[in-house]
Amino acid sequence: MLAQQLANGLVLGSIYALSALGFTLIFGAARVVNFAYGELLMLGAFFTLTIMMWSGLPFYAALPVAMVGIAVLSVIMFLLTLRPLLRGAYTSLQGELQVILVTLGLLYILREAAVIIWGTAPRQIDMGVTGIQIVGDVVMTNQRLVVIGVMAVLVLALYWILYRTNIGKALRAIAQNREGALAIGLNTDRIIAFVFAVSGAMACAAGSLLGALYAVEPHMGGAPLLKAFVIVIFGGLGSVPGAIVGGLAIGLIENLAGAYISFAFKDVFTFMLLIGVLLLRPAGLFGRSR
Amino acid sequence: MRIVALIILAAIMIAAPSLLGDYQTYLLTLTLIWAILALSMGLVLGFVGQINLGQAAFVAISAYTCSILRQRYGVDFWLAAPVALAAVVIIAALVGLLTLRLKGPFFILVMLAFAEITRLVIANWQDVTNGPLGLKGIMPPEPILGLSFETKRSFYFLALVVLAVCLLALWRLVRSRTGRMLIAVREDELLAEFVGIPVMRSKVIGLCIGAFVAGLGGLLLGPFLSILAPSQFTLFASVDMIVMVVVGGVGTLVGPLIGAVFLVYVPEYLSFTSHFRPAMMGALLIIVTLFAPGGLIGLVGVVRGWLMPTPSKSLDAKGEGDHAG
Repeated sequence: MLAQQLANGLVLGSIYALSALGFTLIFGAARVVNFAYGELLMLGAFFTLTIMMWSGLPFYAALPVAMVGIAVLSVIMFLLTLRPLLRGAYTSLQGELQVILVTLGLLYILREAAVIIWGTAPRQIDMGVTGIQIVGDVVMTNQRLVVIGVMAVLVLALYWILYRTNIGKALRAIAQNREGALAIGLNTDRIIAFVFAVSGAMACAAGSLLGALYAVEPHMGGAPLLKAFVIVIFGGLGSVPGAIVGGLAIGLIENLAGAYISFAFKDVFTFMLLIGVLLLRPAGLFGRSR
Repeated sequence: MRIVALIILAAIMIAAPSLLGDYQTYLLTLTLIWAILALSMGLVLGFVGQINLGQAAFVAISAYTCSILRQRYGVDFWLAAPVALAAVVIIAALVGLLTLRLKGPFFILVMLAFAEITRLVIANWQDVTNGPLGLKGIMPPEPILGLSFETKRSFYFLALVVLAVCLLALWRLVRSRTGRMLIAVREDELLAEFVGIPVMRSKVIGLCIGAFVAGLGGLLLGPFLSILAPSQFTLFASVDMIVMVVVGGVGTLVGPLIGAVFLVYVPEYLSFTSHFRPAMMGALLIIVTLFAPGGLIGLVGVVRGWLMPTPSKSLDAKGEGDHAG
């Protein structure tokens, strides 16, 4: 029982971690709390589904195409709405407020666009993976193992980008000190656009995996967005390892609390945890205090 | 000049239900209730300077407390209402004391968590709140002082009086010592603290007053809709209030009212098909934020500046609109 719950928690945590990564990257580099992020997840799932339906490609071939699509969409969103605001006084309350208002507006528009294009009936993405594995008491579908695998591959890819490429180094420089990065001649606009692209691609992957395990529908973005908030606060806003550890931890806590305390109130526990962490250690477990 | 406009507006609002049909009266009442809610958000957004995504939770707590007291314990509306308002203010004070020292995104996210906890408790505490199905058949307030609120028209006047009292009280508040302290804290917290303003206390008081006004709106919401369900109090209820404030004009008291008219009454009246409303709200929010940060009120100031480009007049329009660049 316990081992099974831990395994389920790990699967859920993998998706949570993946969805939180894109969110935390944007905050780290651009100080943007992106409320439209959940909708990118949702659109990602719909893109993957639509590509699979139109072209007959299998999941693994359709996912990268959809990831590119969402990355482009994410960059377009940034260029049209957020760049003019970030150019101004991005540290002032006024600027911060405006950025949040704009992403909230995008949330409404993207969700309604999905309702109009695809309708509200829930659908499912067929990953084409069947069968189960049994290890001791733990039963695991192969599909869920694939989910963990995809998450591991994407996390490794992200680390490679962040630590082995020039643009990754530039990105970390901006996250640490924007004025400094500007002073040594980095093109911050281009790098932040790149972050939005990476973030969109991660959102697309997380959304597609969620759509394969549960359902694809226009309102599916709300829950992962709220989870991403909890995770990044838990792990530290802007911290990449924090998002991974936080995601796995929240997945485990939610499963264990749901199984042993109260299923109906499991989400209440995670939000309580968020408030607790914020009050005791506002920078999060992995964040640097600013 | 302003007084005359106000008297004319009041006369129109008082005459409206006699001139218009039942449906229009219903629509106006809905607009009035949303105006009260927008006003509460306007206070927090414009005078405390915080985006509060937990405002809908205050509305929910007040609406549910009042209706549960009436339906389960047979308490009179006029007795249940003060209890519900007291509950909201106490909860707001506790939440504010814990959360208002957090800044920027942290405050926003913690209030979002508070709103979600409230909604989840309402949705899952089946025995008391009837869970996701909600409370049904909430009656209009009992008669008091010989006034009955059975008809749509009488309820309209109740909402109108509540809004007018709120507006007057908040108008006096923002010109009072407390109001000036709030503005000082909003403008520069560090400086405010330096000159001896109790920053934390001002912010908590601001949040509590906002919660009180939101609670008043919540009290009316139950009897007006005759049904309360947790799905009415999601994050989007708070966002709707924010949109109204921003579209009307942040940092003013008239702005939220204009926003409520613009976003509740106008779309319904023009019978925009309901599924385009959220997209329209989103687009409006983005356009106003990017191109007219002062909202409709700010635009009025800009237009007035064009028509009467005298330096003395332009002081009036010194709102957020000037910082558009």
